[in-house]
Amino acid sequence: MSDFKVNHREGAGIHVIELKGYLDAHTATDLESAFQRLINDQKFRIVVNCRDLTYISSAGLGVFMAYIEDVRKNQGDIKLTNMSSKVYNVFDLLGFPILYEIYKDEQEAIRKFGESSTGR
Amino acid sequence: MTRLRTTLLLGAMVLAIVMVFVYDTVRAVVDLDLMGLLILRELLIVAVVLAGYWLLGLALRGERKSIAKEIGRLTIGSAGAIFLLGAMLFFGPAKGTRTADLLPQDSVFGVLRGVTLGVILGGAALWTIQSLRQIVLFKRRKESQRNVIIYLSLLGTTAAASSPVLPLEGSFVLPLFVPLTILAAIVLSFRQNWIVYLSRREKLYTLLYAFLSFLFGLLTVVLIAQDHPVIIEFQQFSRSIYILVQQTAVLSTIYFGMAFISTLFHMPTAEVFERKQSELSSLHNLTRLTSQLLDFDTLVQTVTQMAQEVCGAKAVWLELLAKAPDGSWSTQVVAHRDISLAEVDEVRVALGSSYRDLVVEARSVVLVDDTWNDRRTKGLRDIGRLRGSLISVPLTARKELIGILHAAREMTQGFDQDDIDVLSSFGDHVTIAIENARLISRSIERERLQQELLVARRMQRQLLPSSVPQLERASFSASSESSTEVGGDYYDLVELGRDRWGIAVGDVSGKGVSAAFYMAEVKGIVLSLSRVCSSPKELLVRANEALHGSLERKAFVSLVYAVLNERTGDLILARAGHCPVIHGRGSSGRLIRPNGLGLGMAATDVFEGATEEQVIRLEPGDRCLFYTDGITEARDRNGEEFGYDRLMEIVGRSEDLSADDLKSRILAAVRTFADGAAYTDDMTLVVLQWRAPSAGPSASVPRP
Repeated sequence: MSDFKVNHREGAGIHVIELKGYLDAHTATDLESAFQRLINDQKFRIVVNCRDLTYISSAGLGVFMAYIEDVRKNQGDIKLTNMSSKVYNVFDLLGFPILYEIYKDEQEAIRKFGESSTGR
Repeated sequence: MTRLRTTLLLGAMVLAIVMVFVYDTVRAVVDLDLMGLLILRELLIVAVVLAGYWLLGLALRGERKSIAKEIGRLTIGSAGAIFLLGAMLFFGPAKGTRTADLLPQDSVFGVLRGVTLGVILGGAALWTIQSLRQIVLFKRRKESQRNVIIYLSLLGTTAAASSPVLPLEGSFVLPLFVPLTILAAIVLSFRQNWIVYLSRREKLYTLLYAFLSFLFGLLTVVLIAQDHPVIIEFQQFSRSIYILVQQTAVLSTIYFGMAFISTLFHMPTAEVFERKQSELSSLHNLTRLTSQLLDFDTLVQTVTQMAQEVCGAKAVWLELLAKAPDGSWSTQVVAHRDISLAEVDEVRVALGSSYRDLVVEARSVVLVDDTWNDRRTKGLRDIGRLRGSLISVPLTARKELIGILHAAREMTQGFDQDDIDVLSSFGDHVTIAIENARLISRSIERERLQQELLVARRMQRQLLPSSVPQLERASFSASSESSTEVGGDYYDLVELGRDRWGIAVGDVSGKGVSAAFYMAEVKGIVLSLSRVCSSPKELLVRANEALHGSLERKAFVSLVYAVLNERTGDLILARAGHCPVIHGRGSSGRLIRPNGLGLGMAATDVFEGATEEQVIRLEPGDRCLFYTDGITEARDRNGEEFGYDRLMEIVGRSEDLSADDLKSRILAAVRTFADGAAYTDDMTLVVLQWRAPSAGPSASVPRP
């Protein structure tokens, strides 16, 4: 299988996870542990940048659903950005845009975090 | 060689001896020294000797017992022969009695004495030769075999040459061959390697037997050299046998003299050798053990027992590592010998994890010479146990520690370098044996799981419709294949009554057994809801209600549900996150993709708000395709997906195809496309084809 990589960086209290490659049942555990680490560290403001994500399977989609509740319970969110149209299609088909904020651009997602925190 | 033939041969030998005896007796009275008869007599004796030699060889080869026992029996046998010889010399006619002074009956007795001595001593000599031959050929090499042949040839020649029928008396032959034979006997007597392999006990016996055999040999040489009438009678019976006995006695003296000395010198090393041998046989047994099918408990018991034998330890126990899922590990005592489990636990506590870590880090044998005075094991002194020495062998398989074997002795410095070496190589074998046993049990378990999965697969197949309905205006065709034993795809065609049919195609996220369980659950939910919900959206909303909260958090189900009204041709459908339905009309196809959310992803209000229904009014010739993403996401060698476009294109070009043909064409196209690449997902496909009503009054009614 092609590679899958999870990269994590932080800026101004917002944690950006970059996904690269092929996210399926085999590689989903990598993303799971990345989310788990953030939640263990009480980091709940998460942006997932999907620019280099080439494929996502239902098991991959399941990872987001596994953690969204915990994150939102702690006034955080998982926002998705930079999806290719093919990947967006998969998210869209399942109705993800109804449940998740999906942005074209990472900065936009980070800005939204800023707005919501000032709004609160 | 059958028993019968042996008996016959023995009988013939006895007969030959009797004939010789009769001839000799007659000759003592009547002059019957015909040359021909004499030669015949000698030939008979040679034949008897050769036959006896051969029979003895067979008898000795039959039983491959220990050499020490062999020598023991030989010693006892020769003791008997010597006793007889001594008795005859003692009770026979006094020394100096002339043959001429003898009465006729005395000369008959003389002949009898000569024959008896010849048979007994000759037999003993043959037995000795055969025994020595086999001893010398123990772990034979080419040269020892050659030496034996040379010796036997020289002995045979010397004996034969001394026969009175050959005119060699006084010639060079005997003076040359006798020393040569003795020389060959000396050469043979350097082959004493069998002594090394004797156990200590056997060596002790051998020492005794060899000494006695040496004495008997010497005694025989001295006794038969006497100028005594009985000896002369013996020589008159057969000079050849006399020489044979004499030379054999010389050989026996030399060989057993050497054997005695060798054994004596080997005594101090006997114990070491014995231990080496037991180590070797233990290792050998262990190697065999690795290839045997043993249950785990028997294996570890045997292993500890062998370890104890190998190094003569007082107590032995084996700990195996158990790795917890979180990466930490603990050890568990699986076998202990001559130390109770309670004691082992006490010792383990006293040693603490530091000692264990030490062994783990050392990755090689750890030796403690004095447990009570060693910093590493001082805890043992506090509990008053295992005073002496302790050796711990890590068992490492593929660079991973799987366990530790401990052996303790009561004395300090109880283990030497040999013990370390042998235990460390022992450890390797134990590791292999344990790994093998584990692999076997794992593969048995896997086999069992495989069987269970096959049962699950069969049961899952039964959850799918076994046949599809064929209606007046609608024909269906369906197929579902899972990429693994059990899958997460689901489809159903349900008769709802009042000319309505429910069509459901779904896909549970993930794969394997959990997906299969959810699939069964979904089938139950859809089946029961289809009876009460008239609208597809309502069914999905209530299915979501049932599944939300009961599914694993990361699991969800995508489902498309449609209701076909056979009377009106209306197809109402709702989509819960599933692949869009493809609607083919004429030569074009389009995606029907009403909004919707996967089942189990959100609470009822969100779900209800997100889900809508769509109606397709079917016209004759219309095709509808329900499928799972295994079809559209099938990949070719380059990783490209089959996609919606290819699917729609096939649907567009399928105007004149039956539902079955369209299904086959799609599946064939997907397979051709993905040729060479492994199928990675389940594939399910349901085709609905709508046609004009069959010829009848209603058929001519034009559509509104």
